[in-house]
Amino acid sequence: MSLKNTLAPFSAWMQAFSKPFTVPDEPGVRPGAPRYRGWHINDRETCIGCGTCAEICQNVAIDMVPVDEPTKGDSGLRPKVDYGRCCWCALCVDVCPSGSLAMSNEYVWVDHDGDAFRYTPGVDEKPWDGAELGWRKDEGFDIVDHERVPMGHLDPEERIHTWAEVVVGYTEEEARREAARCVECGLCVAACPAHMHIPDYIAAIRDGDDVRALNVIYDNNSMPEMCGKVCTRRCESVCSIGVNGDPLAIRWLKRYVTERFDDLKSVLDVDVERVGEGRKIAVIGGGPSGITVAYYLAIRGFEVTIHEALPQLGGATFFGIPKYRFPMPSLEKQIKLLEDAGVKIVTNHRVEGDELRRMLEENDAVFIGTGLMKPYRLGAEGEDLPGVVYALDLLRDKNIGREVEVGERVVVVGGGNVAIDAARVSRRLGAEVTIAYRRRIVDMPADDEEIEDAEAEGVEIIPQAIPLRVERTDDGRLDFVWGPAEMVPSDRGRPRPKLIEGVEHHMVVDRVIVAIGQSADHSWMPPDIAEKVADAKGWITVDHNGMTGHRGIFAGGDLVNDTADAISAIADGLRAVEGIQRFLGILPEREETEPEIPVITVR
Amino acid sequence: MQFDSIEEILDFAIGKEMEAHDMYMDIAGKVKRPGLEKTFLELAQMELGHKARLEQVKAGDLSGFAAGEVQNLKISDHLVDVKPHPNMDYQEALLFAMKAEQRAHDLYVDLARATSDPGLRELFKGLAKEELKHKLFFETEYDDVILEGN
Amino acid sequence: MTTTETLRRRVQLWFGPQHPGITGNMSVQAWLEGDTLTQGITHVGYLHRAFEKLMERRKFIQSFPIVCRICVPEPDTNEYLLAAALEELSGLDREVPEKALWIRTLVLEMSRLAAMLQVLGGHVGSMGLGVVPNWTYTLRDYVLDRFEELTGARVYHMYTVFGGVRRDLPEGFAERMETEVLAKIEAKLPVIDNAIFDSSVFRKRAIGVGVVPEEWADEMGISGPVVRAMGIPRDTRKDFPYLKYPELDFEVVTTTGSDIYARAWIRRQEIAQSVDLIRQILRRMPTEGPYCAKLPNMLTWTIPPGQTYVRAEASRGEMGYYVVTDGSDKMRRVHVRGPSYVHGVSLLERLIPGTNIADLSPLMVSLQTCPPEIER
Repeated sequence: MSLKNTLAPFSAWMQAFSKPFTVPDEPGVRPGAPRYRGWHINDRETCIGCGTCAEICQNVAIDMVPVDEPTKGDSGLRPKVDYGRCCWCALCVDVCPSGSLAMSNEYVWVDHDGDAFRYTPGVDEKPWDGAELGWRKDEGFDIVDHERVPMGHLDPEERIHTWAEVVVGYTEEEARREAARCVECGLCVAACPAHMHIPDYIAAIRDGDDVRALNVIYDNNSMPEMCGKVCTRRCESVCSIGVNGDPLAIRWLKRYVTERFDDLKSVLDVDVERVGEGRKIAVIGGGPSGITVAYYLAIRGFEVTIHEALPQLGGATFFGIPKYRFPMPSLEKQIKLLEDAGVKIVTNHRVEGDELRRMLEENDAVFIGTGLMKPYRLGAEGEDLPGVVYALDLLRDKNIGREVEVGERVVVVGGGNVAIDAARVSRRLGAEVTIAYRRRIVDMPADDEEIEDAEAEGVEIIPQAIPLRVERTDDGRLDFVWGPAEMVPSDRGRPRPKLIEGVEHHMVVDRVIVAIGQSADHSWMPPDIAEKVADAKGWITVDHNGMTGHRGIFAGGDLVNDTADAISAIADGLRAVEGIQRFLGILPEREETEPEIPVITVR
Repeated sequence: MQFDSIEEILDFAIGKEMEAHDMYMDIAGKVKRPGLEKTFLELAQMELGHKARLEQVKAGDLSGFAAGEVQNLKISDHLVDVKPHPNMDYQEALLFAMKAEQRAHDLYVDLARATSDPGLRELFKGLAKEELKHKLFFETEYDDVILEGN
Repeated sequence: MTTTETLRRRVQLWFGPQHPGITGNMSVQAWLEGDTLTQGITHVGYLHRAFEKLMERRKFIQSFPIVCRICVPEPDTNEYLLAAALEELSGLDREVPEKALWIRTLVLEMSRLAAMLQVLGGHVGSMGLGVVPNWTYTLRDYVLDRFEELTGARVYHMYTVFGGVRRDLPEGFAERMETEVLAKIEAKLPVIDNAIFDSSVFRKRAIGVGVVPEEWADEMGISGPVVRAMGIPRDTRKDFPYLKYPELDFEVVTTTGSDIYARAWIRRQEIAQSVDLIRQILRRMPTEGPYCAKLPNMLTWTIPPGQTYVRAEASRGEMGYYVVTDGSDKMRRVHVRGPSYVHGVSLLERLIPGTNIADLSPLMVSLQTCPPEIER
């Protein structure tokens, strides 16, 4: 052992004079690093209560607790964190679809009450609320997939020369990949008027079990192939992944599954009690609401007859929606299922006179779903000139196979889906098309994708254009005269267009297609019954069973709801399916707490 | 038309409101569409309300008049008038009411222009504004219900 | 057998399970003759939380916050290996961005550095020299400061995740690493050398104590500083290169003696090596570009059937993950191969007979056990 080895360690004494490592004074709390993972903070307003934080938490430290009233797209629940279980991994923050959840860089908290360490961030006030520093979601790191699997569309140039479907549809691989993006929060279920079991069927698609997916879909929608193609998809507008990315392509996934099977009956596994044996139901109007009532009552043993004035069932989905969006074979497949379920279908039969009264006597209940068939008039001068037509008539004539001609130049008045359909149909008939709409493009009630598709096909949209009159030109065409509008604020509702006087624009066209809206026509009903069920605007009010002011008459669809879409009509149908069974004493009366549109399953 | 006093003018205006009331009552008894009878009865009732307001003005309480500017959406201006008929629908009923209010409005505007008495002119203008307000009510309804998709 | 002999044989000592030194919660049931140990049986299980089984019942992303617990002083090797295994099985490994590879290498070296600082202090702390651990633990704390800054936490970093890492390097990180950590460590190393390797006390108690025969190296699967102290240049970073190690300039440190002193010396040299590697990494790391691949939805992520074994060099030796996937959203089987199983159980039990009672603790530290990886 050398002398060096004996002496060297003593050099450690030198360290006594160096600056100490420890903090000598001010024993306050050292702040956590700028991205420290400390106590949670949550923005109560931005949070949508989707519960994905609770879903990913491997410690089950997060409970979703009721805080606010639920609204569409917000469950009203907020995450409550149990710090007895939390491991501060911050996956909840990184997964948070709305970006509301974060962590402060505060980490010291002393409390004598152990239960205090369970709180709802953003709701229970804490000193670190609003902390600037701490763990935040970062753009470069995403543990959910915000990019939708793109959907193929026919080329716009090609589209206008064909009536083939514009949307190509997902392949199996694409569908599985898209389905895997779902976080199964279920906000969509509440937003869907029919409360379809969306996360369940998406999970089935993801797992490669299309048969299960189809069965889940048919729980509460008997026209899913139609919805898979043309649904207004309120579900997608609330999708939690859509808050900061592309919402799940719920509609396209449904389309994928429903298109996979040709013979629906052989795939569907219906297991409901035939409680309706011996009971008769008449359905007037073969649109989505009527078809829903007919199918779900028929599989329960009811003897159902549908009366339809047109040659084909489907309602607006048959005569209104153009075939490049919803082709005939798809509709026929769904009608075939209805026949297989035992529904009697009477087409080309308009119910009139005292027939409704007779039906009421012969049936246990009558369901009315006759829709809105009477177009609103333009109201301007020149409306009665030949060449001024209504979009509903044009679409119907085209869909039932009549020869339709629109000339070379068309103006469509209106901004809803019907207007867009009329414009795109006219485009396919070879015309140059302009849409004149009174308000701004953002105000258009038409589906955004429809507007995009129309523009891609060369449809010109003139917003803030007020139709003034239509005149006949010397060469037999029409002069559509319109004036520009300014948007003025309103005490009641959205800004309204107001004509700027003194300026007139002229557009020489072959057709003026009026598509400003439509109303119901109840002239087919006996007046005393009509008086009981409908109001001046043509709308029918129903109770929680879907029953009108007349005993035994139920109603649904565009007549009843103000959203005028197929899925709401299906929801109305589902309500009537349960309502009719309650009315007939088959089901008990509805409890206050039950949702108005029932969540049903037939498996 | 010649008017000599404020009373005379107000009596004329009150008479106009009563005429409108009677007309709506008459149509209400004729229309067939379910619920539309009720709509016209409500319109008639509204005219009674207008009449009561004018009577209030006549009694010296000018607060019954609409204050500030009244918006003119000009929807009815370029629409075609309709004649009441038994098979009227809601759109026609609204068109009819809008046009009626517009005619009343135009009448008072003309009268205001024709008179040289500043006091009377102000009164006519006030009456015109009242009618414009009624018109706005129907135009808003028309914009919301009939033109929802346009 | 005389009464005295029987009594002698009965002297039995429970060493642990409360941290016997810095080796974590495990215990040695030891039999004594005088102050010489005749037999020792290791008892583990005090930290058993069934990590492997927890992971086999959780989604992949939910396993990610679990693995760091498998070695508290050096969690990042676990995080990297889980990510590497699942990336290989899912095909995601082809998409891990360049920058992420560099950051991962950095994090692994940082965690090796922190762990070696800790255990170097433990070497002498277990002999009663309390001053040196004070220094090395402080230096380790400086590394942890940088971990806190980079990962949001000091100990359980939960940072290296499938596809890359969870956050980018903060601005000014390299400068702070140099001035706040590396420079301070380098300044302290000579002082530590004086206090340890030049200390006659340490030399007397470490040289020739706890010698591991070279022939056990392959037979028992010994790795890390224990094997390198035998003169065998075995290092996963060189033998089975991964991440950015092939592009870094370093030599495997070896020495001879295979005793406590030799192992401490290896660690001392590797601290300097780590400091150098961190400098190299920070100098060469790209400043631009993504730090994580585009990930699929982690809540529904499934991985095709397959199996793999991935390994990396922890401060203790070779750490490995054997992972089997079956096409579902969970691992079918995950097996964690920690070097402590060999060093802290099999090897320790074979080294105990003949060891002086006072040397047991230094011996355990020199083998550097991390009990949670024994009882995953």
